[in-house]
Amino acid sequence: MSKLAIFGGSIVAVLVLALLARLLGLGGARIGSAEEARAAAEAMISGFEGGAVALGSDGRAALVHGGAADAALLKVHGARIAARHLRAPFVTAPASGGLAIDSGDARFGTVVLKGVTAL
Amino acid sequence: MPLLFDPVNYAIPGFVALIVVEMLIARTRDRQRYCPRDTLTSLLLGFGSTVSSALTAGLVFAISMWVYQFRFFTIGFAWYWFPVAFVLDDLAYYFAHRTGHRVRWFWASHVIHHSSQHYNLSTALRQTWTGFVSLSFLFRLPLFLIGFHPLMIFFCAGLNLIYQFWIHTETIGRMPRWFEAVMNTPSHHRVHHATNPRYLDRNYAGVFIVWDRLLGTFEAERDDERPRYGIVKDLGSFNLFWAAFHEWVGIAKDVWAAPDLKSRILYMIAPPGWSHDGSRDTSETIKARWEAREQRGIAWKQPTSSSSVEDRAGAPSQAA
Ligand SMILES: [Zn+2]
Ligand SMILES: [Zn+2]
Repeated sequence: MSKLAIFGGSIVAVLVLALLARLLGLGGARIGSAEEARAAAEAMISGFEGGAVALGSDGRAALVHGGAADAALLKVHGARIAARHLRAPFVTAPASGGLAIDSGDARFGTVVLKGVTAL
Repeated sequence: MPLLFDPVNYAIPGFVALIVVEMLIARTRDRQRYCPRDTLTSLLLGFGSTVSSALTAGLVFAISMWVYQFRFFTIGFAWYWFPVAFVLDDLAYYFAHRTGHRVRWFWASHVIHHSSQHYNLSTALRQTWTGFVSLSFLFRLPLFLIGFHPLMIFFCAGLNLIYQFWIHTETIGRMPRWFEAVMNTPSHHRVHHATNPRYLDRNYAGVFIVWDRLLGTFEAERDDERPRYGIVKDLGSFNLFWAAFHEWVGIAKDVWAAPDLKSRILYMIAPPGWSHDGSRDTSETIKARWEAREQRGIAWKQPTSSSSVEDRAGAPSQAA
């Protein structure tokens, strides 16, 4: 087998498989409840004890307050939930239909809590 | 490049077919086992890895041949040496992999394999782009010094990689007991990919789980604790280049900002999460914190129930 044929074939296979995952309707996730958000935050952030939860109305994001002027910022990432541990003061800004929270990590990005106006 | 035969290239069609089968099963059992964007990221990272290793394979082979000239024995290519080479190569893999989790320089290369929050056959193909930079091939040099020909070892390494493909799945629960006792399996490797404190930094095996059992790094998967996959601080991004290089960027930043020479060096070679002011978590601190919390959970529980092991595992979240 020539290297080029292997590379060409591989890249085609990659695209076909990703397309197939989409066509089969795989994936999808949401944060269903405050309890779910709290459990996810405690599982993902070592030592975190979750309190009050601000849950986006679309189930795409949540902010779980901790016990030490801290919080867990959650967002739906693909078919999973990803988290960042934030310390107060939280950097927020009004966003369309909700409140944007800066994760402090450019790659993680800003997270919008739909239907939330203040923390 | 005088490579006799790279078995991995011939396995690619099988990889693709098995991924399709696993996706069809996911559709009926649990659609969240796959996510199209995650799959695309994993597979493109796998593709990039084959490109990067093709670029450096010649140099790795030349270094290996150079070391081979100082060998103690000349073992040759008789068939019965292949199984011996395979077992010893798997032991070398164990140490390389363990170091890959315990020394940040090697982790920066290996983390790419753990950066998905999914655990499916496409995750298996999420392989490093920077294996050469991290010098992980050093762990195989002793085999050449013993006298195994590099071609024989690279052939075994290819078979090893192929073996590890099928264990990246949630579709298989447990294999027969004798198999779980000796071989690395989906169950054992799920533990390896999990970030649950109980499971962190365990089960480094490639093919034979016996290395972990012998060297004290084995942890069995428990039915009452589902693995949560990924890394301690998940990327939350599907950016290919960030997945491939983020820990190298982290090392560069930390070394730059470190207060003295000692911490500069430790930011490169200490376990991932080490920091000069103790402000970050290593797997030890995470495990210790979790154990303390478990103890508290048990203390809370005891007056109210004659709890079984199953009860106890559920206690911390109920108490919190
Ligand atoms: Zn690993
Ligand atoms: Zn793996």
